[in-house]
Amino acid sequence: MSATIQEVRPLGVIGEIRARFPDEALVEQATADGIPTVWVPRARLQAALRLLKHGLPQPYRMLYDLTAVDERLRQHRAGLPPADFTVVYHLISFERNSDIRVKVALHEPDLQLPSIVSLWLNADWYEREVWDLFGIRFDGHPNLQRIMMPRTWQGHPLRKDHYARATEAERLVMDQARVDREQEALRIKPEEWGMKTADEDHDYMILNLGPNHPSVHGVFRVMLQLDGEEIVQAVPDIGYHHRGAEKMGERQSWHSYIPYTDRIDYLGGVMNNLPYLMAIERMAGIEVPARAQTIRVMMSEFFRITSHLLFYGTYAQDVGSMSPVFYMFVDRQKAYDVIEAVTGFRMHPAWFRIGGVAADLPQGWERLVREFLDWMPKRLKDYEKMALRNTILKRRSIGIGQYSTEEAIEWGVTGPGLRATGLAWDYRKARPYSGYENFDFEIPTAVNGDVYDRCVVRVEEIRQSLRIIEQCLNHMPSGDYKARHPLATPPRKDRTMEDIETLIHHFLSVSWGPVIPAGECTMTVEATKGLNSYYLTSDGGTMSYRTRIRTPSYPHLQMIPYISRGMMVPDLIAIIASIDFVMADVDR
Amino acid sequence: MEYTLQRAGGPAPDPDDQVQRSIFLGRLEEMAQFAVNWGRKNSLWPFNFGLSCCYVEMATAFTSPHDLARFGSEVIRATPRQSDVIVISGTPFLKMAPVIKRLYEQMLEPKWVISMGSCANSGGMYDIYSVVQGVDKILPVDVYISGCPPRPEAFLQALILLQQSIQGERRPLSWMIGPQGVTRMPKVSMRDERTPERVAATTLRTPDEV
Repeated sequence: MSATIQEVRPLGVIGEIRARFPDEALVEQATADGIPTVWVPRARLQAALRLLKHGLPQPYRMLYDLTAVDERLRQHRAGLPPADFTVVYHLISFERNSDIRVKVALHEPDLQLPSIVSLWLNADWYEREVWDLFGIRFDGHPNLQRIMMPRTWQGHPLRKDHYARATEAERLVMDQARVDREQEALRIKPEEWGMKTADEDHDYMILNLGPNHPSVHGVFRVMLQLDGEEIVQAVPDIGYHHRGAEKMGERQSWHSYIPYTDRIDYLGGVMNNLPYLMAIERMAGIEVPARAQTIRVMMSEFFRITSHLLFYGTYAQDVGSMSPVFYMFVDRQKAYDVIEAVTGFRMHPAWFRIGGVAADLPQGWERLVREFLDWMPKRLKDYEKMALRNTILKRRSIGIGQYSTEEAIEWGVTGPGLRATGLAWDYRKARPYSGYENFDFEIPTAVNGDVYDRCVVRVEEIRQSLRIIEQCLNHMPSGDYKARHPLATPPRKDRTMEDIETLIHHFLSVSWGPVIPAGECTMTVEATKGLNSYYLTSDGGTMSYRTRIRTPSYPHLQMIPYISRGMMVPDLIAIIASIDFVMADVDR
Repeated sequence: MEYTLQRAGGPAPDPDDQVQRSIFLGRLEEMAQFAVNWGRKNSLWPFNFGLSCCYVEMATAFTSPHDLARFGSEVIRATPRQSDVIVISGTPFLKMAPVIKRLYEQMLEPKWVISMGSCANSGGMYDIYSVVQGVDKILPVDVYISGCPPRPEAFLQALILLQQSIQGERRPLSWMIGPQGVTRMPKVSMRDERTPERVAATTLRTPDEV
């Protein structure tokens, strides 16, 4: 992979960086995904990132991910600079259609590095997360506070020496004293968040919205500074849905982690399995058969439809129309009838496997899919009349929560939220995976990037998904539904009773799980809400050494203060509805 | 001369039987209990509260294909003070636990708790530092629903079980009447109850056909 990138660009982006820092010994790391990866010294970090964002032709304008790795127990690190902790910056250039990963090595006890909030606004939450979960300080960060764990928490959970299980910790006693203490920690202290209670000629109201509120779609809290009904300042507070999915990856086998991925974007179902499995398959060198790829595409698109339908209904409800949600849940039920017949479960089938899918399509699946394809388009037509052309809905959403393409990229917005600003950039087209290059579909876009446009784009995406499913139905390849590769799970049973090696292999593979070669790999998909990627680090074991899940909803929520300033409270509700997030996709 | 609706010449009516048929005999207190419980169980107002994935399946139960209104529970309340039942639908997170507890405390008696899904029952798949290992560590639970997430039908069944349990409850009708304190129905394990029926199944549908 890295060879092909260098063919296209003889110097390569790392060559471009080297040319600017001739005195530094920059280590280049080969990764399974072929993303150029370079280690820079801490003192050069800001300069290197500034160069990548502003100094290069076709710059890397989006800070896609920022995370860390505890390297202290890692064994396979040949050729890498020594480090106790590594902080990883992942950038995207849309013009080059290419990524770069910048790494910084840190040593105990000096775990700090300069903040890049001045360079990218969305670095704010990412740096807070790294501080919270790894205990790495960022100098110059405006408000380096815990973001995932409660304020009262001790320790940094993603460190290798921190316990993983709740049953390893002290027994939980939630008595009145503890409730009071925790509630006190949740109390809003306005000055801490840059809010004011009064000006010279103004008194402001501080309003707490959440963490349980009917219109915040889950356990999510926004602190508001209001002037009458106008929002002066909105501060989102997250972490109420932190399920420790990344830590969980370090103790589940590669195979048994699959169900946890379903529950990240819990409306995305099997689509969540895809980036995780693609990363493993790349590291293990597994080629997925064409039939398995097409089945994966078809089921992923079904979940895109159910997710978008839920968005459509709740969005209409949040801006005041009660009925659409009831119609759309009927359609969701129809889609689930197909999903259930194929996978055996509704929301979290965990149905993809390393190297393919769990089972072949059942006999008669064509009829079910055909029925759904016949059912859906006329319903969408009805909804257009019922919801999209509804005057009240339009007036509540047009021109609200608007942002431009530049702002979207600055904040790390991907998916329908980015396409609503007019940029036709879809990962399925830009870098096709799982055979998307064989499908004929369009990238819906809109112009204004407001609440209404974000809805219009998603509705059109439902139609495109139907098109893709129809192509799957008409051109489903024959062949295997799972790769014939020794690392594919579960291993093949049919020949185990014929020779001892196959039996031993089968036994090890089902008891310990497959051993994935050491390496690093990021794989990305165009998920229901934006770009979702898994950055897996294998240390040559049966479990992942580090599982980083980059989810789209996290940066999208971070943008709320920026787009809701000066709006009314009901506009904020419309904005929240239009972002289409689920909290599991934010806090993981 | 005696006037009856019977044909003349039949056997004389038994006066006891007549009394049994036309006069209701019973204890007023039990009648009142029955009526109150009947009212309570058929107008359970759920609190609009959700934690994670299970909430989506719970919301599915509220919409037309499943239609919770059949059981009188479609009146979702946005405030704990007006609701009778809280469904812990999702993972009880450590950071959320004090909030859940306070919301529960803000509900008025009588109140019931349904624990929906594996996470709320026991922590489920998530034996991890940030998750409370079952919501019963912080609240009393009346009905547990298994599943990850449970189907909407399972939620409906839990609601019916809760209704049955409410019908058999004894709560004081007033602070002036009768013994104070609440007597609840014993909790039964549906797994044990249904095992004979499940074991008796001999033909299972193949997953290879739709």
